[in-house]
Amino acid sequence: MSTKEELLEQMKNGVVEYQEDVVKEAAQAYLDAGHLALDGVMDGLAAGMQVVGELYDANEYFVPEVLMCADALYAGLDILRPHIPKKEDDVNAQVVIGSIQGDVHDIGKNLVKMMFDVAGWDVHDLGRDVPLEKFVEEQLRTDSEVVAMSAMMTTTMLGMKKVIEMIKEKNPNVGIMLGGAPVTKDVANLFGADGYAESAGNAVSEGIKMISRLREMREK
Amino acid sequence: MAKQMLIDAYRGKRTDKAPWVPYAGVHCAFLINEPADKMLQDAELLAKGVVNAAKRYKADGIPLLFDLSVEANSVGCDLKWWPDNVPSVTNHPCSDKTPEQAGLKLPTKDSGRWPLLFEAAKIAKPQLEEMDCAMMGLFCGPLTLASHLAGVRIFTDVYKNPEFAAEVIKFAGEVGARAAELYAEMGCDIVAIVDPVASQIKSETFQKFVTPNCQPAIKAIHDAGITSSFFICGDCTKVMEDVCKLGTHGFAIDEQLNLNFVRDLARKYGVGFGGNLKLTLALSLGLLSPREDAIVSLAAGGQHGYTFAPG
Repeated sequence: MSTKEELLEQMKNGVVEYQEDVVKEAAQAYLDAGHLALDGVMDGLAAGMQVVGELYDANEYFVPEVLMCADALYAGLDILRPHIPKKEDDVNAQVVIGSIQGDVHDIGKNLVKMMFDVAGWDVHDLGRDVPLEKFVEEQLRTDSEVVAMSAMMTTTMLGMKKVIEMIKEKNPNVGIMLGGAPVTKDVANLFGADGYAESAGNAVSEGIKMISRLREMREK
Repeated sequence: MAKQMLIDAYRGKRTDKAPWVPYAGVHCAFLINEPADKMLQDAELLAKGVVNAAKRYKADGIPLLFDLSVEANSVGCDLKWWPDNVPSVTNHPCSDKTPEQAGLKLPTKDSGRWPLLFEAAKIAKPQLEEMDCAMMGLFCGPLTLASHLAGVRIFTDVYKNPEFAAEVIKFAGEVGARAAELYAEMGCDIVAIVDPVASQIKSETFQKFVTPNCQPAIKAIHDAGITSSFFICGDCTKVMEDVCKLGTHGFAIDEQLNLNFVRDLARKYGVGFGGNLKLTLALSLGLLSPREDAIVSLAAGGQHGYTFAPG
């Protein structure tokens, strides 16, 4: 029987090597052994996705590999997530999240999504290559407090500005977070966003900061 | 304005100075105070916008259109129009079917917006000739068109369902060859394959799916006796050698690349290269000085196969 560390390693490596079946088996064995699901998500799946982010930044992995890794990540998350207990201090909030139209890369978005997930938010994931008006429609439909968008290319990044304008026009109280390779803090400010995640590589920590900032926003 | 100088640069030759191409796109509509969706659906306005932009910016060449939805639309994809941008493709006929199963046919002169483009070219071409400005035809490359046809799944299908991916991308390459023939027939002096998302795959995937499926279009362009190029976006460092070896006369890259690296590689392979004024950070958002950015690009590019252009 594998130890907790071995199972976490299997999940991590399964994500990195985009082996969905390995991740599923390890996640189930991890649960069956009575380990905490949240640790499995953070130290197994998310740890694997961080390596994927580093491989992407180093031009070792590209969009197809990252998407395959994300499939493996979600295969594991589907098993572990239902076993993460809701905490009393979880933020009772909703977020609409997606990669902007034209962008098919969503590693950073998936990491941020996962952080929102485990922090107890209701996440409305629109996926990747999301038409601009879909962000607005989904925010209105769900009355979400936050809309989080990511972009990979400078050309597609410009679509974010349009989405922010459309959302703020309908509902100025929505918090908007931007992230992705070409997005900088200056760009986020220029576009009128309320928050910014620096890159896919630090999306997990940025996701936590974003949640904290949003908690503060809500308290105010 | 100097059409031949631009053609020479695109073919990797030395020029007296770097020729200049503003890839104005829907900015042409802004310059004539028209919404993009109106200009893109009106041959007279399209010609007016393009000629006006070429004149205003003293261009050595200008694309008749920079809109990668034309090919998808001409084989059956629907569009959503925007007043300040190119239209978006809204459906993916190959999301669960091959092009053959979906009944897709190669476009003809009468498909989609091609008749409008022929009409616009007929108006614009003589005016551009008079200004000694090259008319350029830009069409959607095989991987980007395949992503329009099949959606994002095409990126994982290159691993999970390689036969399906091959079929869709091959069809996209054939559509591209048809587009190249049509642009040549319109009188374009330069025809370019524009495949922005081809930067998002590794070299092996590029060689397997992109390189072979660009060949029909490259043949069509060269058979017509005109100049070919390949435009790519994003950080394409890892596929730059593949781009150089594609078989086009030259290529163009975007603002994320180092122009010194690109220049050295282009010269090694004897092909033309273009770029890379920072389209978003300098020209659109003003976060960098466009003047200083231009000086840096011109200094790096030099006068040997280099075209000064937004990246």
